Amino acid sequence: MDVTREEIMDTLLREVGKCRACRFCVDVCPAYQATEGIESMSPYGRLQILKYLLNGTLDEDDPSVYCLYSCLQCGRCDLLCQAKGQNLEVSNLIRLGKYLLSQGLVKGKRNEKV
Amino acid sequence: MDVDIKKLAKDLSKIMGKEHVFTDKPTSVVYAKDTMPWDLEERNIPYAVVRPGNAQEISKLLQYANEKLIPVHTHGSGTSLVGLARPKTNCIVLDTARMKDIRVYPERGYFEAGPGIHLAQLRKELGKYNALLPVFPGSELVATLGGTIAVNTSAHGVDAALGKPGDFILGFELVLPTGEIITTGTESTRRPAGIDPTKFFIGSEGLLGVLTLLRMRLIPLPYFQHIVASYRTTEDILDTVMEMYKQRIFPPLFFEYLDEMAAKIGYEAVGLAEPEGAVAMMRIHSWSKAGCEERAGDFLKFLQGGSPTEARIVTDLHEWNKIWSSRAEAGNYMYRLGMTFGSEISPRVDKLREAFRDAKSFILNLDSYQGNEFISFGHIGAPTIHAYAFLRTKDIPNDVKKAVALEMREKSEDLNIKYGGCGGEWGLTAQRVSFLKKKYEKEVYEVLVKIKKALDPNDILNRGNLQGWM
Repeated sequence: MDVTREEIMDTLLREVGKCRACRFCVDVCPAYQATEGIESMSPYGRLQILKYLLNGTLDEDDPSVYCLYSCLQCGRCDLLCQAKGQNLEVSNLIRLGKYLLSQGLVKGKRNEKV
Repeated sequence: MDVDIKKLAKDLSKIMGKEHVFTDKPTSVVYAKDTMPWDLEERNIPYAVVRPGNAQEISKLLQYANEKLIPVHTHGSGTSLVGLARPKTNCIVLDTARMKDIRVYPERGYFEAGPGIHLAQLRKELGKYNALLPVFPGSELVATLGGTIAVNTSAHGVDAALGKPGDFILGFELVLPTGEIITTGTESTRRPAGIDPTKFFIGSEGLLGVLTLLRMRLIPLPYFQHIVASYRTTEDILDTVMEMYKQRIFPPLFFEYLDEMAAKIGYEAVGLAEPEGAVAMMRIHSWSKAGCEERAGDFLKFLQGGSPTEARIVTDLHEWNKIWSSRAEAGNYMYRLGMTFGSEISPRVDKLREAFRDAKSFILNLDSYQGNEFISFGHIGAPTIHAYAFLRTKDIPNDVKKAVALEMREKSEDLNIKYGGCGGEWGLTAQRVSFLKKKYEKEVYEVLVKIKKALDPNDILNRGNLQGWM
């Protein structure tokens, strides 16, 4: 089955848009812990950055890439979100976001209509 | 307002070191977003996020902000449910996350902690000293001590049984909006009588100063007993709470209820047999084992004098944990399947039944959305009704989300006014300013504005919250 780039990005945007911003996931994140609690280096923060990249609020730049790639894919946030929140596969969403970025498919404001 | 971001970053870096100053947009949007179900606008996004490490750095920051007339918005963990955490105007966000040291002094009868410590971490630390943290919000994993005391919120029925967390505060170190560092209160376990400034800052919602150190009494960990009771209808539980107050029975530390739908969902989620109606669950406390057992026995007798279909003491902790977690699971079910829009209605206790009936009626007849369901649970012993509009979809346009949230806010506040309540958990500014103005004489709001102006003449701290900006 052919899936278009737009469909992938649309699905991803819809999924990350489900994050309630409860931030319950932040404390279990090793990157968040290592940075003494910088929220843009947390699972919650990465989901927000991804959302705002996809909807065109943010441009792809060094800080957004740095924050997204600070994810170690340990999956601890997934367990928290399943237990306390929206049941999002947080680390998979971030992985997919990173993939789209690396392929040059997400380009912030240049993709405003995504 | 035109702000040179590069110059701002340079100036702020001189105050607290460049590693603690962020002017990149990704970090700014992450800190600006809060739990409100609608998106940010450009005016919500801060110029910079700073993470000071002590009162001296905050003092310099606030002096600088006053000189440049740039607002500063304090940030604990951003979990406010009435929009306190979202910046209302472009500003500098002051994140307290680095100030999280804890020092426990058993020989002095208190502990001191920074405002940025998360409650779950603090509870764990106090547990080593067999001490109770008298605060139990649903956001405990991430809610900060500073935010909790700034709103003076405790959740469950803790208010009725023990008091507000502010009642255990002995003193502060804090920075006034104009940058002066002051200390308040006492190092004794006996709180000052009279005009102790400590109390001006408890529950001041970050409008009057930035808390940099909190001193709080060590409370011995009590013994607990647990009770679960089933009822044919939610109304029977409301009657029980009304009767409890009427008979002047000391309220349990926790007295929660799940309405018929919430009980069914929650019990199923944790693998318990489906209840026939609504469920109430209580945690009784006392500082001796015998005293706790006696209180639980007395409370059970009181419940059995009402109309439960079953009421019993749960001694198996594993079973209690299942029963207790059914509350959270009822909420999680709704979060997973759709969207919820909540309310906090704390009526005069003899009006509980009427307030519940009115809440159900308006939620099932919203103007901003049709087809939602009604579900309720909450800290009924306090008494608080959390009545929710549950929408079985997440696919809702931003403007509809905002309209539903605001309609829920306005109509539940009308019930707080109609039935003599004020709410007990969410603070009174930001989205609740319209309630504040409606509920009390206009002079009450004017007094708050005067106090704010006296301490913060340039309206630097948390600008827009007292004005009720969205």
